[in-house]
Amino acid sequence: MLSRVADSLYWMSRYLERAEHTARLLAVKLETTVEQTREEADSSWARVVAALSSQNEAPSDTDVPAIAQHLAIDRDSDNSLLSSLSFARDNARQVREQLSVEVWENLNRLYLRLRETGVLEQRNNALFFRETLQDLHALEGVTYSTLSHGEGWYFLELGHYIERAQLVCRLLDLHFGAAKQTEPKYLDWLVLLKFCSAFEPYCKAYTAAIRPDKIAEFLLFDPEFPHSVRFSIDRICDALAHVAPGAPPGRRASVERLAGRLKAMADFTQIEELMASGTIARFLADIAAQCEEIHAAVYSAYITYGAETVL
Amino acid sequence: MSAHPIADANPEAGQPPFSAYKLGAAYDEMFAADGSVRPQFAALAHRLTHLPPEELQRRQQACETSFLHQGITFTVYSDKQATERIIPTDLFPRIVTAKEWEKIEAGLTQRILALNLFLKDIYTDGRVLKDGIIPRSMIYGSKHYRREMRGLPVPHDAYVNVCGSDLIRCEDGKFAVLEDNLRVPSGVSYMLANRDVVRRAFPNLFRAQGVRPIDHYPRELLATLRALTPVREDVSIAILTPGVFNSAYFEHAFLARQMGVELVEGRDLLVNDNVVYARTTSGLKRIDVIYRRIDDDFIDPLIFREDSALGVSGLFNAYRAGNVVIANALGTGVADDKAVYAYVPRLIRYYLAEEPILENIETYLCREEKPLAHVLANLDKLVVKAVGESGGYGMLVGPHASKAEREAFAEKIKADPDNYIAQPTIQLSTAPTFVDGGVEPRHVDLRPFILHGEKTVIVPGALTRVALKRGSLVVNSSQGGGSKDTWVLSH
Repeated sequence: MLSRVADSLYWMSRYLERAEHTARLLAVKLETTVEQTREEADSSWARVVAALSSQNEAPSDTDVPAIAQHLAIDRDSDNSLLSSLSFARDNARQVREQLSVEVWENLNRLYLRLRETGVLEQRNNALFFRETLQDLHALEGVTYSTLSHGEGWYFLELGHYIERAQLVCRLLDLHFGAAKQTEPKYLDWLVLLKFCSAFEPYCKAYTAAIRPDKIAEFLLFDPEFPHSVRFSIDRICDALAHVAPGAPPGRRASVERLAGRLKAMADFTQIEELMASGTIARFLADIAAQCEEIHAAVYSAYITYGAETVL
Repeated sequence: MSAHPIADANPEAGQPPFSAYKLGAAYDEMFAADGSVRPQFAALAHRLTHLPPEELQRRQQACETSFLHQGITFTVYSDKQATERIIPTDLFPRIVTAKEWEKIEAGLTQRILALNLFLKDIYTDGRVLKDGIIPRSMIYGSKHYRREMRGLPVPHDAYVNVCGSDLIRCEDGKFAVLEDNLRVPSGVSYMLANRDVVRRAFPNLFRAQGVRPIDHYPRELLATLRALTPVREDVSIAILTPGVFNSAYFEHAFLARQMGVELVEGRDLLVNDNVVYARTTSGLKRIDVIYRRIDDDFIDPLIFREDSALGVSGLFNAYRAGNVVIANALGTGVADDKAVYAYVPRLIRYYLAEEPILENIETYLCREEKPLAHVLANLDKLVVKAVGESGGYGMLVGPHASKAEREAFAEKIKADPDNYIAQPTIQLSTAPTFVDGGVEPRHVDLRPFILHGEKTVIVPGALTRVALKRGSLVVNSSQGGGSKDTWVLSH
């Protein structure tokens, strides 16, 4: 597969995951705001903003419709839902010939619909994000069932789960780690689970007793839940085993070593250690940093390598 | 131009949606001069008069939405957000009868043979120049003549592998060639996409009509490209595109997908030791055949334009060494400029000793004294074109231009007569086109696609371009044209 194509597929998928994350956070947040006091709502909105924006770009506004508008369809913000979709689509356009007609049409239609949206209607904007989320899920399903699960598909997987692992780490950091501003309350924990589509799966595993350490354990280490960090890391390892099948062993090893190390961390760390010694902040930062390292290693091994090194 | 509603002559044909249909001086594809429906259109006319206008509009709308969603668009950079527009497709098919097609096919085959022989000749012996058939200065002075190609053999002596010729139908109903596009002709994806949407809009009509299929074009193109290399197994073929910002990018991606070949940009390729490689995740992969959709000028910055960021350094040397085939060959543009065009009938007689099957449009070469005087005296009746331009740029449509525009253009011609040719204003034929819920005549041309290599293949279909503005004769998509599905009938 052309390196440029792999690059575009990878980023297309990262941006789609980011879009999905944004849509879900906004939908959940707007659905739950009604049950909170003004103060609680403000601090929980602050968390959403921090989860979705880079620091220097976060809106200072506290007006909910304005924040939602900004995070959803502000063209000037690189982090908005619309921008994420637009970047995903730009990348998809670059590799149109690699995608099925169905994948392209679903993505294109979704993008065109969002682009047409001017100002969000306040009354049913939660519904708007739910629908967008649904469309993104549909796109994921269409991708799964209409693309060959060959190398290109594994680059999509790689981008998808590297992005997801980092996004979930960021959310956990805001609730447990270095980025925590205020102590989360009962409803905040509930919302955190919903941010990760995890409320019911969590209840199945641990009953409806909401315990922060159990939530951390579930979102970090559950091996079967698709939004847990460990699940993402497993998918990353699997994807790396399938991409660049013809690359020289030395090159592959440089990537797989990093992935193996990360997997060992996710497989063998116990939540008790993290909670007891208060090292969870460092642990989360470490995982995010290792994801970055894997990204860099993939690029230098398969995508931006110098031609002189292989001739 | 006198225009009369067809109802004058034939009240039956003047029913909705044809009630506003007015025949002019041009040949009409559907109605004979007396207002009767030509036989090939009879079934369609019957069907359409029984469809309510809202239904027609609904189908037209569905077709436009489908194009937009599929991303069959070109990009207009007017403001910060580049807007993507579809090239409008008109659902009313254009029909070419089996007999008409037979002649077109024979004529185009003859023409591509002669043009390829001509290209071989001017890049080797130059017999045609020695024999004084065509002026030496016209060839060697052409900005599309590539000195670098002299003496370089090309597979099967086929310089032009993909050609898209523009035909028009004159007032007398005969098809004539207006232009040969021998460099990087585009539009074939629209031919295929138009068929797709029309098939969906009128599924029943198709079977009854005996429309010849065109879906095998990508397969034929692939076979043509494959036969250009002696490598037999594991031939690695790539389409070289300028990238996503090119207006024909959709087509490049479409063809790559349909043929199952790699779509590459210049930055994906590199040349080492005169061999072309693509950079892949698994390492470098050798490329044997490149179907390039980039102009000569941009293909290799070491040989041609050094500021080109689209091309591949060293590609031409790899080509010269015979390690890669490029289709079309470089330097084919010399044979499709508008001055050489005037000589094509003579070239056909010279190389094939045959009479041309398809006619040319009468052409005045401003480089010659008498025609020049004629052109300058009759600017208000003629269309003047710059020799090396295409896409409707650099031309003057005399009858539609103001006096000041004509005078300004006359100065340009006098300053550089070699660069201009003139042709009479030709009434392109009109074809029925959906306009605001009704049907009106609009001017059309016809671009069939010719594949040439080991053998010559013409898929029975074409892109029909249509000037959507009433009365306009300019069909180019860059100037507000649209397109239509073209039905070639099997009987």
